[in-house]
Amino acid sequence: MKLGKLPLAAAFLIVLAGAIGAPPAAQAQAKKTLVLGAYTTPREAYGKLLPLFAAEWKKKTGETVTSEESYLGSGAQSRAVVEGFEADVVALSLEADVTRIQKERLITRDWKSGPTKGMVSRSVVAFAVRKGNPKRIRDWADLAKPGVEVLTPNPKTSGGAMWNVLGAYGAALRGKVAGVPGNDPDAALGFLKKVLANVTVMDKAARESITSFEKGIGDVAITYENEVLVAQQAGEAMDLVLPSSTILIENPIAVVDVYAGKHGSQALAEAFVAFVLARPAQELFAQYGLRSVDPAVETATAARFPKVPDLFTIEQFGGWEKATTAIFGPAGVYTRAITEVQSR
Amino acid sequence: MSAPGDAVLYGRNYPWGRWGLRVGALVYLGAFLVLPLSIIVEDGLKDGLGTLIEGVRQPAAWESLKLTLWTAVVMTAVNAVMGTLAAYVLVRYDFPGRHFLDATVDLPLAVPTLVTGVMLVALYGPQAAVGSWLREAAGLRIVFAPPGIVLALLFLTFPLIVRSVQPVLHELDRAPEEAASTLGASSFRTFRSVTLPALISPLATGCLLAFARAIGEFGSIVIVAGNIPLKTQTAAVYVLGEVESDNRQGASGMSLVLLAITFLLFIVIDRLQSRRRAAA
Repeated sequence: MKLGKLPLAAAFLIVLAGAIGAPPAAQAQAKKTLVLGAYTTPREAYGKLLPLFAAEWKKKTGETVTSEESYLGSGAQSRAVVEGFEADVVALSLEADVTRIQKERLITRDWKSGPTKGMVSRSVVAFAVRKGNPKRIRDWADLAKPGVEVLTPNPKTSGGAMWNVLGAYGAALRGKVAGVPGNDPDAALGFLKKVLANVTVMDKAARESITSFEKGIGDVAITYENEVLVAQQAGEAMDLVLPSSTILIENPIAVVDVYAGKHGSQALAEAFVAFVLARPAQELFAQYGLRSVDPAVETATAARFPKVPDLFTIEQFGGWEKATTAIFGPAGVYTRAITEVQSR
Repeated sequence: MSAPGDAVLYGRNYPWGRWGLRVGALVYLGAFLVLPLSIIVEDGLKDGLGTLIEGVRQPAAWESLKLTLWTAVVMTAVNAVMGTLAAYVLVRYDFPGRHFLDATVDLPLAVPTLVTGVMLVALYGPQAAVGSWLREAAGLRIVFAPPGIVLALLFLTFPLIVRSVQPVLHELDRAPEEAASTLGASSFRTFRSVTLPALISPLATGCLLAFARAIGEFGSIVIVAGNIPLKTQTAAVYVLGEVESDNRQGASGMSLVLLAITFLLFIVIDRLQSRRRAAA
């Protein structure tokens, strides 16, 4: 009986010894590591893109690329990089988060010089509603109606939430919200207050907010268009509503050249940025619900991404630097709105 | 040879043993307790006390502090009664499943607080049977409202009060109680006049521990509270918002206030403990 098991055990030991003893073939060749610090939304897309990039790089240079990925809320990721997380490339939700890294002199080159001005993907602020849209939410004005429960993350912790507030306030300023006169900051503030009064849960980040919505909380979630498309792909029962006027979300990507230089991976990092801006990668982003920065891909996917009648950009507010202070600063529009609406 | 006391002999022959213990303990306390805390204090006071007070007086900060304190007070009051009752039942009565129940008391300490939050939403959320019934029938909102915060805190701090009271109940001399009931006191009267006085000190200790634990709680609150500034946002969640929006000053100011409250409470605990020791 005992002897019967012995050959098996011996065979196992031999295999084990072979596995430990054999020198891994890959170690003989040059190996490189690409460190990516990203926000949470494009996680699935980058999970697909990194192996494709590694294969292409291997074909071109013979070097094996492994990747280290980190996904955090955009602001948190940006701060992590500033505080010493040595990412070669950052892909974040909003420009202000790249600017923070630039101000710390970790990005020393002009990262906005390319044809897409440093942007890798786009989306728009949209609404997720319950299947069949039982509360008949069609546009911004419906979010201010009494009895509608609204979800949006907290702008203090979420880049997505900042886009949401800018979308609501901007549409009102442009006179595109029914019942709110245009070019009237007081009226727009009043509208923003009504929407904020309907908010029942403020999550930390866009992804958590849509998860709360999936759990059955709220009638409408203000969120990135791509978050709704991805949730629908995953089989979640919800409808997408595009408001008639909304803000164009533009997500930046940049090489953190100080860290990349330190790792000797400057060329690799730049090649990766070029790779994700090229057509195949842009098409893959579109599959994950993101609008493309490549005009050709944009045209090809136009059926999936309907044109918004009145699309505006961060320039409505004079760029991120100004918007951060004027809207989200201590005396900003959002800060006033949330204070006044809750202390009534 | 002279015949010195043990302590002297010990001190003379093993100076390392004598000083090593103290130095070791003090270095440890300094490095792992005092140092991190002093960073919070230094950070909070960097721009002076005036800026700190101004920061905490901001409406969002002030309301979050008020919410944190009143929910913690309500929780402490409820748990003081229910925790004492639970401890009393666990010590004094024998019933099937007592040991099992006794063992489960500690579990809230082992459950990740985030899971506590998720559990409460699953139980009382709008999609859950209990939650939707309460809302339809009684118009009561539990989750994403202050009651949810209190429930989360009740769950987390329950063991702290039970475990403070329980050992004292165990050690308590039963003779006075028996004398009281022999003399005709009702069981409630006996409990109130004989048993309860002995429990006041450990109960106070347990309550303060629970209160201090509650005002710093983050993980479960961020899930159950709704986190709307000035309405359902607690101090700890407010601090996260300030950290994330680059207002480090506001964050450490609020942290310092929470720390100061906790510190004062622990001084009170310490006084109580030493009074108890003196009485014993």
